[in-house]
Amino acid sequence: MPHKCTKCGREYKDGSTEILKGCASCGCKKFLYVKESDLNRDVLEEKTIEEIAGESKEEVLEVVEQPRVKGPETKGSETKGTAAKGKAKKEVEVFDRVETIRIVGPGSYELNIDKMAKSDERIVSVGGEEGSYIIDLMSMAKEEPKPKRSKRR
Amino acid sequence: MTTFSKTLGKAKKKFSIFLKRFFRKKRTRIGIYGPPNAGKTTLANRIARDWTGDAVGPVSEIPHETRRARKREDIVISGANGHTVTIDIVDTPGVTTKIDYHEFLDYGMEKDEAIIRAREATEGVAEAMHWLREDIDGVIYMLDSTLDPFMQVNIMMVGIIESRNLPVIIVANKIDLPEAVPSRIRSAFPQHPVVAISGLEGRNTEELYEKMIQSFA
Repeated sequence: MPHKCTKCGREYKDGSTEILKGCASCGCKKFLYVKESDLNRDVLEEKTIEEIAGESKEEVLEVVEQPRVKGPETKGSETKGTAAKGKAKKEVEVFDRVETIRIVGPGSYELNIDKMAKSDERIVSVGGEEGSYIIDLMSMAKEEPKPKRSKRR
Repeated sequence: MTTFSKTLGKAKKKFSIFLKRFFRKKRTRIGIYGPPNAGKTTLANRIARDWTGDAVGPVSEIPHETRRARKREDIVISGANGHTVTIDIVDTPGVTTKIDYHEFLDYGMEKDEAIIRAREATEGVAEAMHWLREDIDGVIYMLDSTLDPFMQVNIMMVGIIESRNLPVIIVANKIDLPEAVPSRIRSAFPQHPVVAISGLEGRNTEELYEKMIQSFA
């Protein structure tokens, strides 16, 4: 998916998950899918990405947060204050975390699918806060490669 | 004479088994991926029923009904022009970044049961990702066309599939519902073939089968 930031024009390669964090240069969350042939059109024709978005019929992709699953904090009015506090604190995005699975509480999990796609190694974080991890060493201990047969002389 | 013909018959049989094993066509293993409740099992059942008369697994309106990957092997799909493709269908658990048991309580589930479901669903996501990395040759990415496709998990999954260079067909499901907007999915993923279907009613599945022959053969 070659995408360009609609604000500053920074280019993101095929299959890049970087755009999920917003543009690395300007933080803008809107991106336009650009065909290979039109990759440098904005520079050549001195147009902004937004103008190109208007001309081509491609829809501008806006990276949105996945809505939180309903938890107890959204249900009880007493706990609303703490939920608001939690929001104010900048949270590390799921795909940016070191852990593969975060156990927020019994039966409540946050999964880092980007990490899961790369390996079977499991780092588990316990509790809603950063900085406490359980590392599953067994998942990281790969089987030793079988020794190659020595050639017979 | 009879014993000779019997031995010859046995030898022929053994030889044909050997030949079949030796020249067996490698099947294409297709994973049906997507967020929970997109209709993955419904489609897997539809494909299995249409081509083998069998089913893959149970469906439910409660998310994360499929918590273990299920496989149906040797499905031969044939198209209008006589081309065929032999596939194994892998129905995978819905991939998501957050699983919370409170979600299941809304469906009248008991707390203990809901917690177990959440645990199993988490393991299911890990299993689905393991399959994607190790054992999948092509992907059908299912989306509910009544929902916004621009979700982080979808963009991320399509990105992961692209980075692994796997052929992908995006399916805009649930077009039987009045609020379905499959065009939104087309504009979200213009780089991939998108087929709008109703897995439940079987609408437009012929187009999907043709696309599968083109992409996975």
